Amino acid sequence: MCSSSVSEFSPSTSSAMGLPREFHENCRKSLEQNFLKTFYQWAKDAALSVTNKIIESHSSVPEVKVCNATLRLMYQILNWEFRYSKGGGTRASINVFSDGIRVDNAFAKKTECVIVQPGASWCDVLLSSSHVGWLINLYSSVRQKFDLEGYWLDCPVAVSARKLIVQLCSLAGEIFPSNNAQMREQHLLLLLSGVLPWIDPPDVISKEIEEGRSGSEMIDGCRALLSIGTVTTPVVFDQLLRSLRPFGTLTLLSMLMGEVVKVLMANSTDEETWSYEARDILLDTWTTLLASMDGSGGNAWLPPEGMHAAASLFSLIVESELKVASASATTEDDADCLASVSAMDERLGSYALIARAAVDATIPFLAKLFSDRVARLHQGRGTVDPTETLEEAYSLLLIIGHVLADEGEGETALVPDALQSHFVDVVEANNHPVVVLSSSIIKFAEQCLDAEMRSSIFSPRLMEAVIWFLARWSFTYLMLVEDCNLGSNQLQSLPSRACLFTFFNEHNQGKFVLDIIVRISLTSLMSYPGEKDLQELTCFQLLHALVRRRNICFHLLSLDSWRNLANAFANDKSLFLLNSVSQRSLAQTLVLSAYGMQSSDASNQYVKDLMAHMTSSLVDLTNNSDLKNLAQQPDIIMLVSCVLERLRGAASATEPRTQRAIYEMGLSVMNPVLRLLEVYKHESAVIYLLLKFVVDWVDGQLSYLEAHETAVVINFCMSLLQIYSSHNIGKISLSLSSTLLNEAKTEKYKDLRALLQLLSHLCSKDMVDFSSDSIETQSTNISQVVYFGLHIITPLITLELLKYPKLCFDYFSLISHMLEVYPETLAQLNNDAFSHVLTTVDFGLHQQDVDIVTMCLRALKALASYHYKEKNAGNSGLGSHAAGHTDPNGVFHEGILSRFLRTLLHFLLFEDYSTDLVSTAADALFPLILCEPNLYQGLGNELIEKQANPNFKTRLANALQVLTTSNQLSSSLDRLNYQRFRKNLNNFLVEVRGFLKTR
Amino acid sequence: MSDDEHHFESSESGASKTYPQQAGNIRKGGHIVIKGRPCKVVEVSTSKTGKHGHAKCHFVAIDIFNAKKLEDIVPSSHNCDVPHVNRVDYQLIDISEDGFVSLLTDSGGTKDDLKLPTDDALAAQMRSGFEEGKDVVVSVMSSMGEEQICAVKEVGGGK
Repeated sequence: MCSSSVSEFSPSTSSAMGLPREFHENCRKSLEQNFLKTFYQWAKDAALSVTNKIIESHSSVPEVKVCNATLRLMYQILNWEFRYSKGGGTRASINVFSDGIRVDNAFAKKTECVIVQPGASWCDVLLSSSHVGWLINLYSSVRQKFDLEGYWLDCPVAVSARKLIVQLCSLAGEIFPSNNAQMREQHLLLLLSGVLPWIDPPDVISKEIEEGRSGSEMIDGCRALLSIGTVTTPVVFDQLLRSLRPFGTLTLLSMLMGEVVKVLMANSTDEETWSYEARDILLDTWTTLLASMDGSGGNAWLPPEGMHAAASLFSLIVESELKVASASATTEDDADCLASVSAMDERLGSYALIARAAVDATIPFLAKLFSDRVARLHQGRGTVDPTETLEEAYSLLLIIGHVLADEGEGETALVPDALQSHFVDVVEANNHPVVVLSSSIIKFAEQCLDAEMRSSIFSPRLMEAVIWFLARWSFTYLMLVEDCNLGSNQLQSLPSRACLFTFFNEHNQGKFVLDIIVRISLTSLMSYPGEKDLQELTCFQLLHALVRRRNICFHLLSLDSWRNLANAFANDKSLFLLNSVSQRSLAQTLVLSAYGMQSSDASNQYVKDLMAHMTSSLVDLTNNSDLKNLAQQPDIIMLVSCVLERLRGAASATEPRTQRAIYEMGLSVMNPVLRLLEVYKHESAVIYLLLKFVVDWVDGQLSYLEAHETAVVINFCMSLLQIYSSHNIGKISLSLSSTLLNEAKTEKYKDLRALLQLLSHLCSKDMVDFSSDSIETQSTNISQVVYFGLHIITPLITLELLKYPKLCFDYFSLISHMLEVYPETLAQLNNDAFSHVLTTVDFGLHQQDVDIVTMCLRALKALASYHYKEKNAGNSGLGSHAAGHTDPNGVFHEGILSRFLRTLLHFLLFEDYSTDLVSTAADALFPLILCEPNLYQGLGNELIEKQANPNFKTRLANALQVLTTSNQLSSSLDRLNYQRFRKNLNNFLVEVRGFLKTR
Repeated sequence: MSDDEHHFESSESGASKTYPQQAGNIRKGGHIVIKGRPCKVVEVSTSKTGKHGHAKCHFVAIDIFNAKKLEDIVPSSHNCDVPHVNRVDYQLIDISEDGFVSLLTDSGGTKDDLKLPTDDALAAQMRSGFEEGKDVVVSVMSSMGEEQICAVKEVGGGK
């Protein structure tokens, strides 16, 4: 009974009763503050009363059911989302908006571990009344009694009891008095001692489970460790066990996981077994414990015993990974390879944390394993099938990559603290374990340059791992700029650290290693035809990461190997065989490297030389008199696509230094592009490439251009839009295949999205402009151009197409920007286009996406405030659009502003939306009300009339009154008034939504 | 593969009907010849022959004329045949009783050997557009000796 009332009162699980939200909230609060603890007490008492009977009786008695029910209830109560405990503040009015948004739990992990924070008032029930002791006693005594009957572990009462114990492990927050750390430790110790028999000794337990005992108790034991790990620090965690056993908790954790890994190794079936689950939970425990240390400056080491535990566990883990690798080496690989590289990422990341907890042992260990595998590959060359060793080397490279370096996505990758701060006695770089390990891998990788070695050892898959490793490694270690990749300063003085940092810098081995890396890249691009994944890795991860670092660009340009790469790119046919995204990325990379030239002129010349071959091939092609027939040939289509991808790559690499060269590049292909747009009107893939090239080029260039250049670009874009729309308006493709029809739709969507992006980029010229002209000389009116463009493409945009989220986003960001900046041009749009735009805005208001609704609201605000201001100045504003009209049949159509006022009010009062929207909605509502005061009055009255409850009636009437009058709100649209209205609307909604919105 | 079967019927003299292209370079949306039929690729996936073998491409494609689904697996460094697919726009001049259409060529002559598309709804659309006197432009797709109307566009006029 109690259990159902708890779930009924929790708003997220309550049943719909048609009562206002406010009511639910009040119930919830009173339940939490007044009854929850009492329920818990009852449950406890009830359980206590039956305890003895259960323990004494020898067969199952009905009391067991009672006990189970009470345990479940207690569990459920502790799962309650305690909210009113903190600070004990009772708010006068209940903010209905925050409902449903759970306060994000920073500790939430992938295996659920919810922290229980019931607040100080629960202390007596849970802690001081030996509740925990009772629970543990109950469990252990019953467990003992049924020891021989294996099924007992899975029967409901045992499961509930364990659940509750695990849950109590994660008790935290104000329930523990802040001045009494001891109490907390005692609580955890008590629990741990109760849990210990489930998991200790690990080898015996795992053997029992393998022999058929249920694994559920052991897994709950792991969960308990995870919970304890979540609420403690590693040191406290380790200490806990010392009063019960001669070793620390970390050692137990290591032993336990070691057993699990052994079991996993022994049965390499793909079936999901208990050991998989246990491994994941234990790995999470390690991650939770170690991650809290990793970020804290590097000096927080584990106690020596803990380090030892981590080291031995890590070697077991690596052993098992290698075994899995060699066992799976010959199986067919169906999965996408890039996916497989990143799929294990998370697991390997956790392993790396364990390895870094004991680098003194693990780094030399890895180095030994790796050289071992390399030696084995060399010995068996030509005689033994190397596949298994290859797969082992592959796995090792991934593991080592994770241990040595963090993923540097988007930020400077730091050398992991643990690697910086350990190895204090090393003074010579050549002996530094990290240097030794890195060098041995680079030396191994270099061997792929030899054709014979390549064919016998370097399989595409191994190459992928090599490239992946080099990318990750070089981002963290290669040519570090002093003080940039260093991280915390307290370590600076260590000599071991200094040699780690200088060894791969530009004065030392850096340049040599860089040269090797570039040559390896070229090899992987040229000598592995058709290996798409490998080439993408090389282009995106490795080369791209290199040129992103300015200091490396200077060195790259001085290398012969880099010149060879650029040369091959410009002239060699075999690089035309690369996959198209790789082409683009490679072009971008090469253009970016031009930064390394001494002067801007030299950089521009470099780009010009690089791209001249591409532009001239396009010009030559389009000048061919037989273009129409020629263009349809597959080889020509491929050539054109390739060149376009490369141009796009180059365009997206525009930087101030190379802007001139890229502008000229685009200028020289303007006419060819228009010609091709015509010729390839049926070849949608090429059209898309064309559009994307123009989009990226305009985006990169526009802000730098002078007025006359801008005019050229804008005219070009206009012709492009016109040609495109003349081909596509009113076109119906026929196809017998629905798949092909869907494809055609998707292609169209992508085109339109590109065109919208083009228009948005054009808009940006008014915002960001680096040209030397003053604003007055601006010869082209951007808003006119973009409106013209909008005229051309709005007929192509259907509500159907707006269901594509990205297109929808682009479209509405353009529309809201347009309306905010140039509302006057909208009024000049013709009737069709105008109403089309507004239909889409209406559509957008009803989307789920907060961003889209926000953009629509901003558009409305712009529209209404424009109209209101114009009206006040005696102009017509939106004119007939706003006034409404009577159609020939005598039916009155209300103006658009009235329509939106209605929609918006309904939206605000009755629909679900995020709180973030309220202030934007206020900004839109305010001018709308000012524009249509009579309608607003009418709507308000209607709303009041509808209320049956007289109390609500007066509350609503007052609230409506206050909304438009309080805070000295006046009728001018200035900043201050907007702010006041926002505040008013917020109060208004808090006041009335509670009873207007029913559930 | 079966070049001899349908001999050069198209009027493009000397145009070879297929071109070799590396399998790894054929993308979704591109064309490919599978079992002697010109197809449009709707799905490409790559896998390896054994973990340390070479990549191969798995194509799912749809026959551009009869919409049948075909599949093929090719090592990605090998060449595939890519059909030459040509599309030409004609103005619609007439629809005859027996379902043949009459089209105006660029050079001013007529082309009378094509039927209305088999899909009833689309054929009806062409018909109604034509009967209302609109200017109807049809695109004719041809490849490996076959031809078919693949798109219709009304360019205004009428009423």
